[in-house]
Amino acid sequence: MLGFLSARQAGLEDPRRFRRAESTRRVLGLELNKDRDVERIHSSGVNTLDIEPVERRYMLSGGSDGVIVLYDLENSSRQPYYTCKAVCSVGRNHPDVHKYSVETVQWYPHDTGMFTSSSFDKTLKVWDTNTLQTADVFNFEETVYSHHMSPVATKHCLVAVGTRGPKVQLCDLKSGSCSHILQGHKQEILAVSWSPRYDHILATASADSRVKLWDVRRASGCLITLDQNNGEKSQAAESANGKVNGLCFTSDGLHLLTVGTDNRMRLWNSSSGENTLVNYGKVCNNSKKGLKFTVSCGCSSEFVFVPYGSTIAVYTVYSGEQITMLKGHYKSVDCCVFQSNFQELYSGSRDCNILAWVPSLYEPLPEEDETKTKSRLNPAFEDAWSSSDEEG
Amino acid sequence: MSQKRHRLVPQTLGLKRRRERGPVDADALRGESGSARAAVAELVRLFPRGLFEDALPPIALRSQVYSLVPDRTAADRQLKELQEQGEIRVIQLGFDLDAHGIIFTEDYTTRVLKACDGRPCAGAVQRFLASVLPACGDLSFQQDQMTQTFGFRDSEITHLVNAGVLTVRDVGSWWLAVPGAGRFIKYFVKGRQAVLGMVRKAKYREVLLSELLGRRAPAAVRLGLAYHVHDLIGAQLVDCISTTSGTVLRLPET
Repeated sequence: MLGFLSARQAGLEDPRRFRRAESTRRVLGLELNKDRDVERIHSSGVNTLDIEPVERRYMLSGGSDGVIVLYDLENSSRQPYYTCKAVCSVGRNHPDVHKYSVETVQWYPHDTGMFTSSSFDKTLKVWDTNTLQTADVFNFEETVYSHHMSPVATKHCLVAVGTRGPKVQLCDLKSGSCSHILQGHKQEILAVSWSPRYDHILATASADSRVKLWDVRRASGCLITLDQNNGEKSQAAESANGKVNGLCFTSDGLHLLTVGTDNRMRLWNSSSGENTLVNYGKVCNNSKKGLKFTVSCGCSSEFVFVPYGSTIAVYTVYSGEQITMLKGHYKSVDCCVFQSNFQELYSGSRDCNILAWVPSLYEPLPEEDETKTKSRLNPAFEDAWSSSDEEG
Repeated sequence: MSQKRHRLVPQTLGLKRRRERGPVDADALRGESGSARAAVAELVRLFPRGLFEDALPPIALRSQVYSLVPDRTAADRQLKELQEQGEIRVIQLGFDLDAHGIIFTEDYTTRVLKACDGRPCAGAVQRFLASVLPACGDLSFQQDQMTQTFGFRDSEITHLVNAGVLTVRDVGSWWLAVPGAGRFIKYFVKGRQAVLGMVRKAKYREVLLSELLGRRAPAAVRLGLAYHVHDLIGAQLVDCISTTSGTVLRLPET
């Protein structure tokens, strides 16, 4: 690292290279740290987590009991030991709380004044963060499995909602009603995700084993259905051999990762729809609803963090190599999010805990000075005699 | 565990690939780390030819190749290249969508010709082997492909199915198959369950690899313990953990 610093100072190396190398090194050192904790508020499984994209300081979590909690992740105390406190929460006694489990929460992509949450009680609620009131409610006929709002969109405020019905609904926040319906899937939609590169490209994954890419500006059907065999089988294109549970675009939007109940993860080229045939091995997936996994951002070779039973498996995205399994939860992990400013991973599981995985690179220095200052007593309580043999 | 992780720390931006852990396990199984072709050749040597009276070509499985070539994406790519060059054929074995059998093309053609020698379907089979196989490297064939591109009549296709070269998959599509492979698949499935059972019955559901290979094979295992162990490791049905006493096979917790 010192070599990098001096090279950057001398102008021999691009400063971004150093940043990426250091981020990668930190991600490789992720582990559970006794100094970092997230306050335990949920009394049932944590289904979803989201970190706001502006400052990456506040995190929302949604639980199976319908409770939504907002945490402050920043360590403003001077101590290394820090518990991420809950700033506020929408508890069971809130008048607008969801009746059933909250499946997805997402911050408004442009500031932290608003967030959206969708739940099994067939609603999508838009909340005002400062007053913690619902600003708007969208009602649907079927339970809502997942929703997503485009992180880069400036021209539209569409929220894509995947429900148990086969139609993908696009709700407009400005007008307060559903503006589009995208037809093409045959069974329930388990995951939706907008592309972080283009504000009109949407990917949806469904229980009928297909992943479709849509251009929301077009009136006709989907752009591409991802075919796991790249067109070799001439039968109906299938993206997986089972239900497709989870979708995640890489941070540059050029590739799309999908996981399915056939225990496979696939990497697709998002512009051509081609299966890149990277083989990650068996990625166990028993989830009946969506699985939320995440990709790192800002490292030299990106990593994908996938919940694998009660552990989190870490793979390199483009080569399929398994780096490690992060063990720490007691029950199955449902969701994880990556905080790219500090290269930390937060994961929520059915055991009601949210764990923080922090890069640990150096042994902590023995803190001699601090203990001395702590043990210095008030002079009024100090003994007047000395403990040495000599008088005085 | 932490020491291994720190070795992953890259010196430069180009993330240094995890350094090979050295030939720590000098087990008989893990010597090969080269190409997929060498892996298939070695696996084909493990196949018991005498069991089927040399009527079946030696079949290796894709999961076995994964156990010998640890990087799966590279193994897939190399196998695909070999398939395109026409050196190997990939066959769909019926019991699992993922289980693909890999056979060298010359072995396949000689055995098939020997199997259908003298029977009425010989002509159709020979034409199939000569014209379709070199042209189309896929696992399966479609109706219009067979009738229009290659000019096979329905009666000839029936001959091919009777000879065991094609297996019906769907209306108008067929898998490529090996005649007489049914016995192999039966022994394979039984043997796989038997070897998994051996690991399951062990104390703590884990067994040292060298000890497992040294045991007497139960009667259900006709294809050989080494053959099945490669397949179990590659299919990730057992976890392969390296310890100071060698490699340990442990059943995964889930």
